[in-house]
Amino acid sequence: MANKLAYLLCGIFFGFTLSRSGASEYNYIHYLFTGEDLKLALLIATAIITAAIGMQVLKLLGNRDMRGGKIMIQRKPLNNYTAVGGSLFGIGWAISGACPGTVLAQLGEGKILGFCTMLGLLCGTFLYALMAEKNPEL
Amino acid sequence: MTFLFVEFWPWWLGGIAIGLLVPFMYFFLNTALSVSTGYGNLLKIIVPKTKLKWLNSENYADKFNWRFFFLAGIIIGGFLAARTAGMPVVTSQMGLFTEKSGWPFPAYILWFFAGGLLLGLGARLANGCTSGHSIHGLATFQKSSLVATVFFLLFGVITTFFIRPIVWGGG
Repeated sequence: MANKLAYLLCGIFFGFTLSRSGASEYNYIHYLFTGEDLKLALLIATAIITAAIGMQVLKLLGNRDMRGGKIMIQRKPLNNYTAVGGSLFGIGWAISGACPGTVLAQLGEGKILGFCTMLGLLCGTFLYALMAEKNPEL
Repeated sequence: MTFLFVEFWPWWLGGIAIGLLVPFMYFFLNTALSVSTGYGNLLKIIVPKTKLKWLNSENYADKFNWRFFFLAGIIIGGFLAARTAGMPVVTSQMGLFTEKSGWPFPAYILWFFAGGLLLGLGARLANGCTSGHSIHGLATFQKSSLVATVFFLLFGVITTFFIRPIVWGGG
């Protein structure tokens, strides 16, 4: 239970940060793609660099978590679906002005159209589940 | 305090806060930052009796596992941020899109639903989203995340290039 509370707090921190940084604002995402405002591009780049430095620090400390367990970095496979999925995702990102994380923040912010995006996301995930039923590669 | 709670944070503050979440989640919880996989949990809650094998995979054996709490937290975080910033509790607006296009509301519903559909399918095919690939994956130097992120951005730019003149006539 304590663990689940910790995850809830991480989520609250993430959602609060996304919202307070403007990452859940349609306009900033639109400007990211038009290049009119580089705020989000800089934010994402800073997040990647910060995370990369943090991961190197953990590595220097022996890749151990607070309980002494070995940290196993989750690796994602590269296959033919990576580019196809990435393309569909990019189109969806530009259409909705949201990604799977920020859409949840939008929901909390009370954006009704963000709720529509989230329903679409659930259906898109379900569509994948249907495709995975027939395609053993998925 | 308006700096933190009313005005938008500067990009570096948001970037550092989000970036730190990756090593923190590994150190305190030994978990990779990941959002889109959690949509499977939400689906499983909606259709608990599904026979689809993907929704019965190991990831979703417990639909109220950590992913559920993490996703729920993001919603709460967005709610709290909107309250401190004094945003309306509910809004039918979506920035420039609703400001410039002037469509009837049902058309907006379809538009955003369609966007979500592509996000959901795309994230699963690519094995991750902006969090898992673009932030966690790039920060851990993964080739698949680089490929995914390049396609996320490339198609985001191409789509926006078409949306802008078609949806709100340039400007």
